[in-house]
Amino acid sequence: MGAPMGLLEIRGVVKSFGGLRALQDVTFSVGQGEIRAIIGPNGAGKSTLFNVMTGLFPPDSGEVVFGGERISGVPPHRIIRKGIGRSFQITNIFPRMTVFENVQVALFAHHRSSRDPLGMARRYPSVAAETLDVLRQVDLAEKHELSASILSHGDQKRLEIAISLASRPRLLMLDEPTAGMSRFESRETVELLRGISREQGLTLVFTEHDMDIVFGISEKIVVLQQGAVIADGTPAEIKANPQVRKAYLGEEIQA
Amino acid sequence: MAAFFDVSFLTVQVLSALRQAAFLFLISSGLTLVFGVLNILNFAHGSLYMLGAYFIYALTLHLTGPAGFVIALLAAPLGVALVAVVIEMGLLRRIYIQEEIYQLLLTYALVLIIHDMAKIVFGPEFKSIPKPRAIGGAVTIFGGTVPVYTLVVVVLAPLVALLLWYLLYRTRTGKIVRATSSDREMADALGINMSALFTLVFAFGAMLAGFGGALAGPARTVFPSVGTEVIIECFVVVVIGGLGNLWGALVGSLLIGTLETVGIIVFPEFEMSFIYLLMVVVLILRPWGLFGRPLKVKALAEKNLGMEAQEISPVHFSVRPLVRMIPLVLLLIVPLFAGRYYQYLLTQILIASLMAVAFNLLLGTTGLLSFGQAAFYGAGAYTVGLLATKTGIGSLSSLLLAPLVAMVVAGIIGFFCIRLSGVHFAMLTLAFGQLVFAIIYKWYNFTGGDNGIQGIPVRPLPGGIDIGSNLSMYYFALAAVAVAVEILRRIRSSPFGATLKAIRENNQRAEYLGVNVKLYQWTAFVIAGAFTGLAGGLYALMEKSISPDIILWTKSAEPVLMTIIGGIYSFAGPAVGAVVFIVLNSYLVAWTENWALVLGLILLAMVLMLPGGAVGFVNEKARGAFGKMGWVRRWAFSKSGAS
Ligand SMILES: Nc1ncnc2c1ncn2[C@@H]1O[C@H](COP(=O)(O)OP(=O)(O)OP(=O)(O)O)[C@@H](O)[C@H]1O
Ligand SMILES: [Mg+2]
Repeated sequence: MGAPMGLLEIRGVVKSFGGLRALQDVTFSVGQGEIRAIIGPNGAGKSTLFNVMTGLFPPDSGEVVFGGERISGVPPHRIIRKGIGRSFQITNIFPRMTVFENVQVALFAHHRSSRDPLGMARRYPSVAAETLDVLRQVDLAEKHELSASILSHGDQKRLEIAISLASRPRLLMLDEPTAGMSRFESRETVELLRGISREQGLTLVFTEHDMDIVFGISEKIVVLQQGAVIADGTPAEIKANPQVRKAYLGEEIQA
Repeated sequence: MAAFFDVSFLTVQVLSALRQAAFLFLISSGLTLVFGVLNILNFAHGSLYMLGAYFIYALTLHLTGPAGFVIALLAAPLGVALVAVVIEMGLLRRIYIQEEIYQLLLTYALVLIIHDMAKIVFGPEFKSIPKPRAIGGAVTIFGGTVPVYTLVVVVLAPLVALLLWYLLYRTRTGKIVRATSSDREMADALGINMSALFTLVFAFGAMLAGFGGALAGPARTVFPSVGTEVIIECFVVVVIGGLGNLWGALVGSLLIGTLETVGIIVFPEFEMSFIYLLMVVVLILRPWGLFGRPLKVKALAEKNLGMEAQEISPVHFSVRPLVRMIPLVLLLIVPLFAGRYYQYLLTQILIASLMAVAFNLLLGTTGLLSFGQAAFYGAGAYTVGLLATKTGIGSLSSLLLAPLVAMVVAGIIGFFCIRLSGVHFAMLTLAFGQLVFAIIYKWYNFTGGDNGIQGIPVRPLPGGIDIGSNLSMYYFALAAVAVAVEILRRIRSSPFGATLKAIRENNQRAEYLGVNVKLYQWTAFVIAGAFTGLAGGLYALMEKSISPDIILWTKSAEPVLMTIIGGIYSFAGPAVGAVVFIVLNSYLVAWTENWALVLGLILLAMVLMLPGGAVGFVNEKARGAFGKMGWVRRWAFSKSGAS
């Protein structure tokens, strides 16, 4: 014990699918305002960890603690309410709603106006303004009238980030936020995330396969391999860690 | 009860249960196979069974003697398979990419079409099929008299099951079929020729149904609506066993066959309720059926994103308030110049519209396909009927209680159904609907059973306003429906409604907005149930007599049809569909015996050509002319853009 408690604590999390041990005794902690990367080869268990942390399914054992409160076993909608936003590896948006509506509905949920069954959704000027603010943050304001399904892949990814940001989370968890984006789009998105994290003191946990991005913005990195944590430290420590180099990063880092 | 343990009696009953199970298995194995591979719950499967029976009827008219019978027994299913190939290649194939509901609807259209075609070709009367003398008699087993034909059935069905097992587990094609059924994506990745496989499986499933029909025909009688009777029983079987699972179909058939036989002996007054009760209980305990596993569905978003091709009115299309008033003005004036019959017809349309608009809060807005709306309609109608006949309560008060009772019923049913999704949700609502039907049908002392309630008194409203005449009833209904529809419209365009839409689009993402998805779905279910109950209450006042028929599943199908005809993504769509449906219904009934055929053809055309429905289609055309951005949004955009 002794060490100060982080905003997010993962303690001894185990998760199996049938015979497959997707997560074995995963433990680490994320501090307030930290930018934290979770890396590891395909199938290492990164998305599974995200899913456990956000309540898609409970861990077999171990616990997840957020802001001092145990959240493992709590259904996703209640976890989100505690101040966590997330995006998915496979883009997860509301395809046949407009870009505007995608974010607007997130704000309704956040402000609990979702419960209002008789007011007109269009007569919520403050939500409308806020929606456009959020869209402007991710540079989608000009496209707010388009149907989300016709956006480019990169725009859809950014829209999902906007949806997750709408609830003003304390912790934002992004599963491969730049997957499938062009180099240019990736850079922009990374800058965007760094900016938001700095401005709002937002804690950011993300997975990513692009090592330039990982080492470019993260303050701490945890490395998973076959469901187990094999390293946890600053980018410099991770670069120097022989086990990581051998197991996963290989030559890539030295370059 | 002593007789129950009598060996001869027991033998007869066991064989009769097995015979029933045998028929059920033949039909439902095809149904479940098709579902497993094509992911389509085929409503027309019962109609294919019916065709099998008619084919053997037609064939045995010419082929006589034992040899003729055997040939007919083999040829009939082949004929059915041929029909199935035409259906699959000509129709179904065009809509595989569409949402589930359109596939269901297409097969439902086929039910209507095949039903009337059979009626045209073979006539509406019962037909019996002569058995060759060799298998026409009876034998005595353990002192019980058993028809030889029963033995034939009880022996043949397991042979077919064995053949099925061999084909699926011992042949290459069979292995592919099983692989596809357990993991479609994997099969896709392996480069299996899907379209040939689909045709093959659909035809094979149809052949099983056809064989079931050919075998059952000589034992039972044949008439055009056997198809719709048998399909519901088979739904129960496959849902209990687990959709897509052959073992489940086998066990389900045995269970239902036994239960039906025992039920008739022990509790004759409850026979049918048992199987629905069993289904409800099984689904509550094991939502995916006894042998089923949760469907491995592609990530929803991914699937939806693939549907750009049929993008439907994504931008909110608003009609100017003045334009919106036109229909209301017409509704106020027209009846004054219409005859009494038209006043009655218009009242019917109003009630149907309410039912359809309420239903669409579930389907179009929340993305839930309920197939049990008749339960709430019936709850409302019986509330009014019972209160009016058993108490002196006023018509208005009883009408106001109707939605409350329906709401309670919907709250209970919804609690269980909401845990499921997609086809399973639809099936469970169907089962509950049928259960409510069975209860009301059998509860003679209280509900009047199949006699229904006659002579429901219509009492004046407070203030002495009489609503006895057709015209005044029309205005009364108009007032009630207008208020109800306006509330539903507001719900749909409220933040709550926007949240429901988000749930429809992607319930996982909605959950990750912090929305308690199940609670919202349940709430929508209860609201829709309440308004459906109001529609039912109005119906009881309008007709002044009700019967349990209004709770049958065919009644539940009506709002589905209206909504699809009118368009699920527009608010007014279902109401327009109701107009079309009621007008068609009353005119076609007068004009032709085969109105189901016409309706089926229209439905088929809608599903294939205008998946957005009539209103969706018009909207699309009109959007260029009338569409405009919501003013608040425009205002907010300009304002915040400037700062
Ligand atoms: N719902 C599930 N059911 C069964 N197995 C699963 C499930 N989700 C993940 N797995 C398995 O768990 C292991 C870890 O998968 P996970 O998706 O977490 O890896 P990942 O690190 O996110 O990989 P990638 O970099 O490819 O996204 C894999 O072997 C995967 O097949
Ligand atoms: Mg992953």
